[in-house]
Amino acid sequence: MGIEMMIESFVNFLVNLLLSKPFMEMLTKVIIFPGLMFPLLFVVFAVWFERKLLAKVHLRIGPLHVGPGPLGGLFQLIADALKLLQKEIIVPYRAHKILYNILPLIMPMLSLITIAFIPVIPFPSAGPTNHLVIFYTPYSLLVVLALFALRPFLVIGVGWASGSKYTTMGALRAAYQLLAYEVPIMLSVASVVMVTGSFDLVKIVESQSNLWFILLLPIGFIVFFVSMMAELGRRPFDIPHAEQEVVYGWATEFTGVHYVCVMMAEYVDLCVVSTLITLLFLGGWLGPVLPPVVWFFIKFGIVVVLIIMGRGVYPRLRIDQLLNAGWRILIPLALIQIFLVFFLAKFTPWLLPITV
Amino acid sequence: MSIMRVRWGPQHPVSGQWAFWLDVDGDIVVNMEPDIGYTHRGIEKIAENRTYIQNIPVVERTSVFDAGNIVFGYVEAVEELMGIEVPERAKFIRTIVGEMSRISSHLYGLCLLAIATGFETMLMWFVNDRELFLDLLEMLTGARITYSFFIPGGVQRDLPQGFYDETMRRLDYFEQRLKDYWKMFYLNRTFITRTQGVGVLKREDAIRLGVVGPNLRASGVEADVRKDEPYAAYDQVDFIVPTEKDGDAYARGAVRFHEMEQSISIIRQALKRMPDGKIRVKVPVAPSVPKGEAYSRVESARGELGYYIISEGGNKPYRVKISAPSFRNLPAMPFLAKNVPMADIPTIYLSLDLIPLDVDR
Amino acid sequence: MSSKTLEEEIVETLKNTFPDFVVDAKVQRKKRVLVTVKKDNIVDVARFLKEKLEFDHIASVSGVDYPDKNEFLVVYHVWSIPKKVLVALKTSVPRDNPHLPSLIPIWEGANYYERETWEMFGIIFEGHPNLSRFLLPEDWDRGYPFRKDFKLRTKPE
Repeated sequence: MGIEMMIESFVNFLVNLLLSKPFMEMLTKVIIFPGLMFPLLFVVFAVWFERKLLAKVHLRIGPLHVGPGPLGGLFQLIADALKLLQKEIIVPYRAHKILYNILPLIMPMLSLITIAFIPVIPFPSAGPTNHLVIFYTPYSLLVVLALFALRPFLVIGVGWASGSKYTTMGALRAAYQLLAYEVPIMLSVASVVMVTGSFDLVKIVESQSNLWFILLLPIGFIVFFVSMMAELGRRPFDIPHAEQEVVYGWATEFTGVHYVCVMMAEYVDLCVVSTLITLLFLGGWLGPVLPPVVWFFIKFGIVVVLIIMGRGVYPRLRIDQLLNAGWRILIPLALIQIFLVFFLAKFTPWLLPITV
Repeated sequence: MSIMRVRWGPQHPVSGQWAFWLDVDGDIVVNMEPDIGYTHRGIEKIAENRTYIQNIPVVERTSVFDAGNIVFGYVEAVEELMGIEVPERAKFIRTIVGEMSRISSHLYGLCLLAIATGFETMLMWFVNDRELFLDLLEMLTGARITYSFFIPGGVQRDLPQGFYDETMRRLDYFEQRLKDYWKMFYLNRTFITRTQGVGVLKREDAIRLGVVGPNLRASGVEADVRKDEPYAAYDQVDFIVPTEKDGDAYARGAVRFHEMEQSISIIRQALKRMPDGKIRVKVPVAPSVPKGEAYSRVESARGELGYYIISEGGNKPYRVKISAPSFRNLPAMPFLAKNVPMADIPTIYLSLDLIPLDVDR
Repeated sequence: MSSKTLEEEIVETLKNTFPDFVVDAKVQRKKRVLVTVKKDNIVDVARFLKEKLEFDHIASVSGVDYPDKNEFLVVYHVWSIPKKVLVALKTSVPRDNPHLPSLIPIWEGANYYERETWEMFGIIFEGHPNLSRFLLPEDWDRGYPFRKDFKLRTKPE
């Protein structure tokens, strides 16, 4: 009798815990949105969408069979991933065994961890500021950008660990590009931070309730958008991947599960970047009439479509032209934006959300 | 700095069926050596063991993408040796097939240039439009790519029913598309940045190295066999020969583009002015050709194609020498690949439109 | 006095300038001139063709094997862009000692043609910078393929 009662009370305790509000809320945040399901489902959807959109631009059809009727090909990525996961993992003769196996697994982890700091929508009584964010910190923007800055090192590590001169060359070129575009990102974000006065992503979105930053800081938006496209490795800046001179660049030697991880990291990065652009410049979840979730997804969707379309419209830039664009064009533009903020603060302080 | 010797072998996404040896110093290529011969079939030797008509499919395989013009040169040379004159209608049909072959070869060559710059959209659209002409050629000859349509004495078949209307319809559509292509691809800032100033071939160097075709015309030399030495019906149609002054990859792409526009005009004129009459002169199956030699020159899509045929009597040629355009353009590649960044090598190579099949024969 | 065609003028100039060297020069047809020279003098005639008669665009270099006459015929076809005439410069070399001065100093584009002719016939062009394997595989050891006495394989090995 005693044991039955103990089991029953334990089960009661568990059920109360699981159905309690804080737990449900944590479940939603971590697993569903913006947690694990959101980027992973986004990856599946984005791969399909990219292939279909590019196919329409190229006057062809794209994936058609694996998936429900009108959305044919939606599950193509799942089919591809399943096929890739059961492939034999070939470690090249001259590769560094430990790094070669571990680094590609770290890459999607890094991208997914970044999601933990990004608030997405307001959610009553969720967390310290009533927003859906997994880990709230008043310096969330800084943390996200710092995590971004780790990517070049992973790329170099992966390229060197693969042991072939093609991958090493490709990794060094990728690293040049990624490091060159870090600076315009930081500078254009600096202009946003100067205008709002805090690193907190929640406050940044809320201070756009009068005027979205894309209208207040247009040059900063352009610099940030272009630099982020270069950081992602998207055409016209896709020297790291898909370059004709070094097969697949720094990730040439990967098959099977490593390849899945590398691809996944790329698309999760796309998700994170689009979210950042939406929050920093497009006003996040703010907007009249419609609920914040809908606004968030509309803006997010527009940014994703713009980034993907760049692939269909432009050829690839050469590495020296790319570095030229980063160092000699974007950095001065970002600095101009910062000076413009000074002018705005002096002459039209009523435009700025910060109260001096 | 140490110089690394890199081989872009036959198994490389951009090299085609030959290999280059590149001496690379950091990111700059200091020297380049071609390594050809992967598709060498000894066509010239095979041609010595077959009769003149059996040689037509053999010779056609020299350059698959431009099959119309390849055979054109051969039948011109054989006809010169045999001393026969082709009827007028056959000349016009040959002109039409040659020009359609030129358009489809240029579309393919330009989509290779698109691959070099990473421009997938241009690639897909051009290959898509090739279908317009391959369908027409299938209607006329029965095959899409290697049609073996010309024979010494004329052509094999007459124009089918509905060919005129279908061709005019497709040409109108293609002409409209070309206008869009110019705006979308050639005025695209990134494409211009990638190709302008890359692989500049000056006029004197082009003549000295023996470069032919659109590459020569892009360097400012007005040399086109269709105007210098008109054959078939080219002296009865009006067209201009586009030339550019700069000699860089962009100019070569632009010359090919404008040549396509001129080809459309030639096909239209040839269809309208086509005379009636026979389509071929009766020639025996294994003709006995008198002793002699002939050198015929034809403007194929990639450049000037020369056939040197020596006959010692009998029904098999004694020597067939094919002077293929890509082989003649080959010296330009090591010449241009000095002190360029490695990313420009595919652009230079694919803007010269070198097809390894032509080079190796 | 009838006006001469361009081709006849070229033939006459050649015959007048090189009365001993030129073995034969004639007009084959419109825009085709055939010139046969002895192999020792080919460089001088070629230089004259390029510099004075403006034949600047090399078109092809072929070898032809005549085993019954025991000679190789080497034919250089050169086109003149300003004059629009093709000249075929022929010379013959003995089959058992096929040496010939290379014409690369005059027409640089002849480089790859001469290399191919060497590879296929065995004709040695003296002064050529790089007579090495070009079209054939690196481990080719069966002789010179385009000669008439080359045994073609009739069965797969």
